[in-house]
Amino acid sequence: MDKETIELLARRAGLAKALAQFPDDVAASAKQAADVAQKIKRPTDPRAEPWPPMRAGIGL
Amino acid sequence: MAADAGGDRPVSDLHWMTAGAAARAIATRELSPVDLTKALLDRIERLDPRLNAFIRVDGEAALQAAKAAEAEAISGRLRGPLHGVPVGIKDIIDVAGLPTTCHSKILEDNVAAADAVCVEKLRGAGAIVLGKLSTHEFAIGGPSFDLPWPPARNPWNTDHHPGGSSSGSGSGVAAGLFPMALGTDTGGSVRNPASCCGIVGLKPTYGLVSRRGVFPLSFTLDHIGPMTRTVADNALMLEAIAGHDPLDPGSAAPPRGHYAAGLERSVRGLRVGFVRHFHEIDTPADPEVTAGLERVARTLEAEGAELHTIKLPTLGEFGAVNRVILQSEAWSIHAPWLGERPEDYGMLSRRRLMAGAFMSSGDYVLASRRRLEMIAEVEAALREVDVLLCASSMDPACRIDQPAEVDRTYPRQARTPFNVTGHPALAMMAGLSAGGLPVSVQFVGRYFDEATVFAVARAWERAAGTDSKHPAII
Repeated sequence: MDKETIELLARRAGLAKALAQFPDDVAASAKQAADVAQKIKRPTDPRAEPWPPMRAGIGL
Repeated sequence: MAADAGGDRPVSDLHWMTAGAAARAIATRELSPVDLTKALLDRIERLDPRLNAFIRVDGEAALQAAKAAEAEAISGRLRGPLHGVPVGIKDIIDVAGLPTTCHSKILEDNVAAADAVCVEKLRGAGAIVLGKLSTHEFAIGGPSFDLPWPPARNPWNTDHHPGGSSSGSGSGVAAGLFPMALGTDTGGSVRNPASCCGIVGLKPTYGLVSRRGVFPLSFTLDHIGPMTRTVADNALMLEAIAGHDPLDPGSAAPPRGHYAAGLERSVRGLRVGFVRHFHEIDTPADPEVTAGLERVARTLEAEGAELHTIKLPTLGEFGAVNRVILQSEAWSIHAPWLGERPEDYGMLSRRRLMAGAFMSSGDYVLASRRRLEMIAEVEAALREVDVLLCASSMDPACRIDQPAEVDRTYPRQARTPFNVTGHPALAMMAGLSAGGLPVSVQFVGRYFDEATVFAVARAWERAAGTDSKHPAII
């Protein structure tokens, strides 16, 4: 993730103050997040559901 | 490395008394809960300045409760199986009238109006709350030296990390400051301090213990668990805190568990699945940890268990699924404070919690879908065997003052798989390293089959005598 993208996403997430005071921390957070999802195998079945499941019950 | 190397101490001292033994002695009026509480408070006063297990000792309230427990015992009215036994509470769990700080400046003045359900249940069983215990900030950022309170230290060697995030719980139980404590576990935070401090820590099945009154880190990964010096105490404590809570959306409604009753049963014929690739291939363990795991496996085999080799998804993938879900859910909780008060967090938690801002909804749903597949894979394995045996930590505890070493060793573990899948998982001592620090093992069971996990853990404890190993701290 490049610097401009990180700054854009940080501002969009409401982290303008953190970006001004702790730019290294914001960059480190973005780095942590960048590659982690790449390590997850994509389910081959498009119907594969997430957990926890949607359940009908109180409130629905 | 040998399970019987060093560390033996006489157990006649009150501070090494187990919760079960103390409760029995109180019930028969051989032991005064006031004497027990005073002895522990004296020990806390003497040792805690070196251990930092406590954020707040609530000595006066504990003594009042002990006096009431004594009066009740004299009149033959016992509240429950933990009558008069002191307990420590991790400071992300509410205790009425005390601040729940989460070890953070953010919540320094956050006084709880009511007990968390797990605390209420412990009090109902007769336990006496001694105070609130150190944690990694919000159960994620630590060990940190930039918070209002110092991090807890390991009683086996106070230069070393006690593990986290339930650091004070692990340190205090191992040091004999209290016989039992509550911890929480989202990515391994009960089992890591249990591993580092050589005690018994259980992450129960997801939904078995109510989360109500516990500050959340990650809604679908959070578990509350017992931390004790013995397997029997752990079972006793779980019996006290387990149960359905209709006001916790994640609460399950399992049949009532009698965990302490079958502890001494034989493991003969039990099928134990050894997940070797976790510590041999995915994250190669320190040789002393590997030797400890082999020793546990051989001992269970000698006791009559059948050993099988089991293959699960890799630790790397389990870790990624855990991280995406944990950091996404944690971000949704902390976003307003991180936006307005980033300076009030310690650096470690600020960095870990802000990571969720950079994950996409697609990442979260992908991790949640893969999670269901991983659950199916562990369920399939547990149809072939009765219990799993695997590593917990891949290393003994590292020094607490070396951030690079903490960073290197912290992810070298096999605990997150069972936060992802929700299966019950128990970590305990597998022996002591040449450097005199505990090494650990983990047992994992079928959903709501904590009883089998306890039976296997007890078989190892009985054979190796791990319950008589205490740190030399005086």
